[in-house]
Amino acid sequence: MAAWPNPRQVLGKPATRLDGVAKVTGAAKYSYDVQPDGWLYGMILRSKWPAAKVTKIDLSKAQAMPGVKAVILTEGEKRTVRFYGQELAAVAATTKQQCLDALRAIEVTAEPSPFVVKEDDAMKDDSPHVFDTPNVSQPSLKEEGQVDQALASAPAIVEAELRTSVQLHHPLETHGSTVSVQNDQITAWASTQGVFSVREGLANHMKVPQANVHVICDYMGGGFGSKFGPGAHGGIAAKLSQAAGAPVKLMLSRLEQGLAVGNRPSSIQKIKFAAGSDGKLLAADVTNHGSPGISGGGQTAGGGGGSGIATPYLYKFPNFRAQQFNVVMNTGPSSAFRAPGHPPASFGTESMMDELAVKLGMDPVEFRLLNDPSDVRKREYNVGRDKFGWAKKYKKPGSSTGTIKTGVGCAGGTWGGGGKGSEAEAQINPDGTVELRCGTQDLGTGSRTVVALVAAEAFGLRPDQIKVKIGDTTLPFSGGSGGSSTSASVSPAIWDACQNALAALQQQTGVADARGANWPDTCKKLGINPLTVRGKWQEGFSGSGAGGVNFAEVEVDTETGHVRVKKIVAVHDCGLIVNPLTTTSQINGGVLCGIGYALYEERIMDRQTGLLLNTSFDSYKIPNIADTPDIEVVLIDMPERGVIGIGEPAVIPPAGAIANAVANALGVRIHSLPITPAKVLAALGKVPNMTSV
Amino acid sequence: MNPFQYVTAHTPDEAVSLIGKNGRYLGGGIDLLDEMKEYIVSPDVLVNVKHVFDTKNAQPIVFTKDPNGCSIDATVTIADIAAHEELKKVLPGIAEAASEVGSPQIRNVASLAGNLLQHSRCWYYRQPDIVCLKRGSQTCYAQDGENKYSSLFSGCACISPIVSNLSVILTALEATAEVKQAGKTRSLSIGELYHEVLKNPAAHNSLEPQDFLLSVNVPTKRTRSAYRQVSEKSEFDWALVSCAAAGNVAAGKITDARVVLGAVAPVPYMVAEANQFLEGKPLTEVTASKAADIILKDAKPLAQNGYKVPLAHTLIRRTLLALNT
Repeated sequence: MAAWPNPRQVLGKPATRLDGVAKVTGAAKYSYDVQPDGWLYGMILRSKWPAAKVTKIDLSKAQAMPGVKAVILTEGEKRTVRFYGQELAAVAATTKQQCLDALRAIEVTAEPSPFVVKEDDAMKDDSPHVFDTPNVSQPSLKEEGQVDQALASAPAIVEAELRTSVQLHHPLETHGSTVSVQNDQITAWASTQGVFSVREGLANHMKVPQANVHVICDYMGGGFGSKFGPGAHGGIAAKLSQAAGAPVKLMLSRLEQGLAVGNRPSSIQKIKFAAGSDGKLLAADVTNHGSPGISGGGQTAGGGGGSGIATPYLYKFPNFRAQQFNVVMNTGPSSAFRAPGHPPASFGTESMMDELAVKLGMDPVEFRLLNDPSDVRKREYNVGRDKFGWAKKYKKPGSSTGTIKTGVGCAGGTWGGGGKGSEAEAQINPDGTVELRCGTQDLGTGSRTVVALVAAEAFGLRPDQIKVKIGDTTLPFSGGSGGSSTSASVSPAIWDACQNALAALQQQTGVADARGANWPDTCKKLGINPLTVRGKWQEGFSGSGAGGVNFAEVEVDTETGHVRVKKIVAVHDCGLIVNPLTTTSQINGGVLCGIGYALYEERIMDRQTGLLLNTSFDSYKIPNIADTPDIEVVLIDMPERGVIGIGEPAVIPPAGAIANAVANALGVRIHSLPITPAKVLAALGKVPNMTSV
Repeated sequence: MNPFQYVTAHTPDEAVSLIGKNGRYLGGGIDLLDEMKEYIVSPDVLVNVKHVFDTKNAQPIVFTKDPNGCSIDATVTIADIAAHEELKKVLPGIAEAASEVGSPQIRNVASLAGNLLQHSRCWYYRQPDIVCLKRGSQTCYAQDGENKYSSLFSGCACISPIVSNLSVILTALEATAEVKQAGKTRSLSIGELYHEVLKNPAAHNSLEPQDFLLSVNVPTKRTRSAYRQVSEKSEFDWALVSCAAAGNVAAGKITDARVVLGAVAPVPYMVAEANQFLEGKPLTEVTASKAADIILKDAKPLAQNGYKVPLAHTLIRRTLLALNT
């Protein structure tokens, strides 16, 4: 079977991003920056009710306002809305202010309906129904062995309810696109993780052939699972453009991001784990209630938006029962969010693993080494604990003295990764210049650079000698950038195109080996016509199954409840490391996103009004540089497994590791994320008359 | 935002003459422009006041003798306050409070007046689609709702706490606000600058839109001052609770002590009994803790903000003990 060359000249060596200078100088034009001639602003009028029957939407005043070029209903006039922020109407106008004025001039008449926006409320029998059916779904059940028997006789049992909050999608570039519809031809500049899926979505929405839709995404500012299709907003931009006869740029506001672009569902995990006195796991009984809002996998989702978590997670339980319930509420739909179902699973499972280790009097790492079926992850625990200095740092829970207590913890994660199906094209010009074309897109992960590195390896050139064209549906097909599949799907296609190009070059020029020093002279022999050769993903260059572990060290001020993450050691494998620099960058970002999940991020819905309360970054808190610990990334390079992907694995372990470190510092566990000062002080018994936090 | 006129004033008198009935003075704009964009406020005139002191020869931050004090122009940026060398030496609590405001970008633009007169940060007040008590309805949603950031001591119908860092330290230092009011210049205590908030749930401070805050005068008779806050994040986050303390320490004992809490009441919260208790005592864990007990004894925690009690207790102790050095 085909395989990557060995040794390698370029792959596996740290390489700076091809577009780094363009990005930091502002030369790189993001989707937000696109301004085609005659473009208009587009904006959406959203439901101000969490639940209502809309009886009338009067557009007439808005239509008559200066600068307004189009006003449309997003669906019919009479309709039921089920969450605050649901799309009702939209406007296109010459200026942003004209749009805002027009939105405020649209009169919506509605009868408010009862609503429910909190999981605990939605689960009550007498709560208002979001749909005609009960809010709590039938369970999905996975069962093996004899759980009740095993639990009845197990020497060590731990039990708790663990909760995770809804995490909102807040990529720094908000969702949106600029769409130009002219007759039945559509051009869309989209902030997307999948130019081809946007093309499909827009073609369906506008009922035009896919061949008539051209989607472009040169640079975009993050997607994290929520930017696969055009989204409701993309379809609306197309309709507005059609109605206005001009390109429409519709980028969402920070508030809108919190309402309707998807999110990571919440979880309420009732977990019971049991182990033998030898430390071997015996049984797991997990019941999870999670809420995907009104639905999972809505228009903006790439699948994976349900509230199910991956359980039982990581470990082999000879007896297990996992029951999961979807709880619908009057809140915006969920979507895929970087490793859907895994961060909450890792947090729940790894929290209880630490509880079991404590109960058994075992070192948490040893306990994992005894029970983790993955040899790779065991290796990672071994490597990680040495780098981290675990043997010196780990102390019995609560034994840290003083006001500011330190603690350490660890946690693991697993992810599929892998990918296939990409196609690519290499063009060799007679002057020796090279262009690689592939219809993938760069979410900020460094995909553009990966293309250049693979081609440079193939041709014996430097990466900066390769021109890369991506992010365009006129290029050879590549799939959506999700599931940590891009590098694994794209790299083999690039390699194949390059190998085919080398073969064709040899045939046309008679030069046996065109690579490296021979390159310029060989290319000259092409005469006047460039050589253009296709290639596609081939078996043997990529794999799947990535794992990782985190070690966390925290400081907790027991008098203020403030948690500071001091150090994270993140050990990850993802097969052949194509570029250690961008791989490390992905892991740094994953750790930060995990810190946000662990300590700060939480969607706050108001029970009385049904509205979102933390509408901007001043109250929806994400970590910044002052909250960033020393992150040490350790890469386990396994070239024999091919290219796998790292985007998602990186975000899985941090919350569990941090929660375990906090529990280790304090000697008591905080059972819900985020771990705020309020919860820490409450767990320490310092809060008087506390009813909830 | 709604349409408005934009004019620039070159003197305080000109600013007052231009403001009209429904105008607002524009300094850094950090709070005002956000509120306008959310349609929470809609002034008909913005009077740019960044240049009202341009013709003045003196520096924006001036130390004076007789009386001993420091005068800070209301238009000075928070960054300039945080970086002022003499201020850091003489009134360190002010520089500490300033350095905890927002982010470097915000501090570079935000003004002293804007920090003191900024509006409520309660998320019900800021939610564009909720009309809360402060915005004119009959309902304070925070009372029975999401109140983890709300006041422990309210004494009024609106329970959104004051979030101005500088109001807390300036109260501790017994500063006065020099305000042009109805043609006269008046000197208000910081307490007076906010007392209207306790009477009127719609108020954010005691000033009328026409009143112009000129400067803040800080007596330097207290040689020790400190400010501490704790937020959920490490930086660039609102204080969950803040504390400022000031006084003189001689022979290990404190005199003229003033201890003030922020983010626990609609106004800077001070308990005279605690100040009196501290008078002449050494600042130790025991005395500081007792002062904290006194300050917090009337706290009325709501469902979600009880954690502010132990947090405030800690901050009072830490801030007071910081006066020892």
